[in-house]
Amino acid sequence: MNPTHILTSFEEALRQLRNDALMMASLTERNLENARKGLFERDEDWCNTVIADDEEIDTLEVQVDRDGINVMLRFHPMASDMRNVISTMKMSVNLERIADQAVNIARRSRKLIARPEVTEIALLQPIFTVAETMVKDSIRSYANGDVELARGLKERDRELDDMNRSFAEKMTNHMSACVELIPSYMDLIFMARFLERIGDQAKNIGEDSIYAVSAEDTRHTGPAVD
Amino acid sequence: MTFTMEQPQTTSESEKSGPTQQTSPRADFLKVTNFNFYYGKKQALFDVNIEIPARQVTAFIGPSGCGKSTLLRNFNRMNELINGVRHEGDILLNGRSIYDKKIEVIALRRSIGMVFQKSNPFPKSIYENIVYSLRISGVRNKATLDETVERSLRGAALWEEAKDRLHESALGLSGGQMQRLCIARAIANQPEILLMDEPCSALDPIATAKVEDLIHELKRQFTIIIVTHNMQQATRCSDQTAFFYLGKLIEFDATQQIFSNPGEKQTEDYITGRFG
Repeated sequence: MNPTHILTSFEEALRQLRNDALMMASLTERNLENARKGLFERDEDWCNTVIADDEEIDTLEVQVDRDGINVMLRFHPMASDMRNVISTMKMSVNLERIADQAVNIARRSRKLIARPEVTEIALLQPIFTVAETMVKDSIRSYANGDVELARGLKERDRELDDMNRSFAEKMTNHMSACVELIPSYMDLIFMARFLERIGDQAKNIGEDSIYAVSAEDTRHTGPAVD
Repeated sequence: MTFTMEQPQTTSESEKSGPTQQTSPRADFLKVTNFNFYYGKKQALFDVNIEIPARQVTAFIGPSGCGKSTLLRNFNRMNELINGVRHEGDILLNGRSIYDKKIEVIALRRSIGMVFQKSNPFPKSIYENIVYSLRISGVRNKATLDETVERSLRGAALWEEAKDRLHESALGLSGGQMQRLCIARAIANQPEILLMDEPCSALDPIATAKVEDLIHELKRQFTIIIVTHNMQQATRCSDQTAFFYLGKLIEFDATQQIFSNPGEKQTEDYITGRFG
């Protein structure tokens, strides 16, 4: 644990930035959870809640930017402080995108649940679980400075990519067998794609957490994509 | 006048290092080895080892009383003006000890110019401030003196502001101009090294920017060592930074590295404002 700063106003400004970012992270996690409920419980109210609550997350993104600019402008942070400010501001961008993907899922869910239920929705459950757990762990890695947890997100993101690819193939095959369900299958394919993007953004948060703790830039260091 | 060594030191010697020493990425030019310094019984520097590269800006940072100014003043042996001081270890300029008995201290100080926290122009004209040391060295040729004044004032980015008032009192200049005059006076001797002890601490932001811009220009010709309490100034001006604490050199590395990811916790705590 680092000792506190001599300048209490600096300490307070950093705490404010962190608190706003963690609040934003918490709301984003909650929105993704609500999107899951809306989709799998076929509950339009949860979908509407996700869409409405996104505004609060957008407001917090702006607030985190303001907090970060305030710290840089007034206190010229150095070393780990500077890395923390940069990482926090970058994390808020990724959180806002995750929240947007939750909104996309909620919108698609509203369309999907307006039609008869398709059994293939169960195939989306594990993809949702992986994406959601990645988001939780990326936030934990930031909050606790857990570099090892953050490092693991890269491999999990690759697994999520594979799951999404495999799911899209299955849905495409089902489409040819059952053409009247194509609109529902398309919705599921899109939702898997949104979840895959959420995994990318969770991985990005993990990379920023690593940078904040160890100054190591791990972006674009994975194996080449085919 | 320059202070040079006939036989430059070999690289292999510069590679020797003690436990607290960290070498900069460039070859040594000014080399401090196992240096201890005492004001009477009080030890101010402890086993300092550092190699300062030529034609770069090196910043010394650290809390008050950490020894950074003491080390700076040792480079031109100014500390010897204080009673009861003594040192152990050595300081080599271009491979030659500055404590060599054959070295003339006056020549050494011409070779290692110094600019202080508070500008200290002589109560003379701008022109006479610049040529003062040349006159006491016996230079009388007016063309030489004129050329030195113009070159030095241009070098200190003061020529345009001062060329029409060269024979007016230097005490009529603004604080920032006086500080640049002191820099002009220091470079009039064409030193190899310019030592700056908090040169901007008494200046406003505009004058500070002019001096910092000047430092950037001067490093093409001179090796600059600057003591500063201003972290932003160290990041803006210097190529490498040395952090001192309680008389010890804690860390010496590229400035970018020191201020983004220092290797030592004490450095991190100091530059992030957690102690000092």
